[in-house]
Amino acid sequence: MNELTFEAAEKELAEIVERLERGEAGLDEAIKLWERGEELYAFCRKRLDEAHGRIEELAREVQS
Amino acid sequence: MLACVKVEAIDYGDRRVYTVASFNRGVAGWLARLPTVWVEGEVTELRRQEAWQSVFFTLKDPESGASLGVTMQRTRFDALRLELRDGERVHVFGRPDLFEARGDFRLRALSVERFGIGEHLAALERLKVKLAAEGLFAAERKRPLPRFPRRIGLVTGNDAAAKRDIVSAVTGRFPPARMLVAEVYVQGPRAPAAIVDALRRLCEEPEIDVIVIARGGGSFEDLLPFSDERLLRAVAACPVPVVSAVGHEQDTPLCDLAADVRASTPTAAAKLLVPDLRELTEALARRRTSLERCARRTLDRERQRVGLLGERLRRAPALAVERRGAALERQAARLQALSPRATLSRGYAIVRKESEVVRAAAAVAAGDAIEVEVAEGAFGARVE
Repeated sequence: MNELTFEAAEKELAEIVERLERGEAGLDEAIKLWERGEELYAFCRKRLDEAHGRIEELAREVQS
Repeated sequence: MLACVKVEAIDYGDRRVYTVASFNRGVAGWLARLPTVWVEGEVTELRRQEAWQSVFFTLKDPESGASLGVTMQRTRFDALRLELRDGERVHVFGRPDLFEARGDFRLRALSVERFGIGEHLAALERLKVKLAAEGLFAAERKRPLPRFPRRIGLVTGNDAAAKRDIVSAVTGRFPPARMLVAEVYVQGPRAPAAIVDALRRLCEEPEIDVIVIARGGGSFEDLLPFSDERLLRAVAACPVPVVSAVGHEQDTPLCDLAADVRASTPTAAAKLLVPDLRELTEALARRRTSLERCARRTLDRERQRVGLLGERLRRAPALAVERRGAALERQAARLQALSPRATLSRGYAIVRKESEVVRAAAAVAAGDAIEVEVAEGAFGARVE
């Protein structure tokens, strides 16, 4: 999940929940989706908890 | 440099020396070859007298304080009927000129146009129409903003207020936000180029997913750089979406139209740029709850289905016997329907004479003994 962005993870989680809500998934799939969903949730939480705000200044270019 | 105009010089050994007049003439000749241009500035020190051939005024640049002397033929000036007052902004069309007798450099005006707010607005309107025709402001050019920008580029003036307002609105809503701030001139003639440059440099930085251009309110002139064509084109061409947070609600710099979205306040800008962390955390938690609830529901449903299948499986043999029995009953009924007894039960009778079934009246004669069989039993009879 290293390549995953928060945005993509959040979107996938929403899709999984929607899919499960429709009740179309079979047992094996439902279990897989659940596991994946939990993984995504943990990823999103971790991202939010770990993120530290930062305000930086763009270095001024040397004026000629 | 003066070699190409006719000026007289005196040679003292290896030193070539010009008279003042010839120097001035030389420079004047050189200047005369420059093209005519438009110059914008504020009129001050207007001097006009009936006896003079020319009128004189000074054109001043209010931002930098630079000034330039201007002369114009009095008849030409009078014909314009401008009635200029000190401090009015004008556009002067003319060419550089040197008053040879005094070595005074000035602008020789061929025409003067008042350029007040009305003219400014008209010029902006022309620019707006032109860029709109090019499709620069078209709705289909607008890009959606990222929901979770990795880094936000902020272009802002070096007046602290606009920067502080945006930064605190963004971090208040989403504390983990990361911003990269480019402070630039946001006022005066240098502003457009400076802002364009800041946009370019921000885009070169890694992980910048969106850029916001912020400036507090100001006078009409203060906000003019944000309607500059160069700036508008740079905003439209910016590789990441741009939010315009310039001026207040009632201000409409053209930058608002070129940007992907406009925000009228720092708070509105923050709403566009980042999600609300608290809402986001709650939404995530809700999603997780539904995830679990839905998965459990699927599990329960499957369990129930399997249970039902088991029951049906166990009931199957008994059902099969029952079904066979019923089929047998049906066969028996059909058999019954076909037997002659069924006919007798409807009231018919079988007549026999000496055990032979009587099928015609001629087969019997009066006095013959016959046997009659009905549904319930049989009896003897004699033919009359």
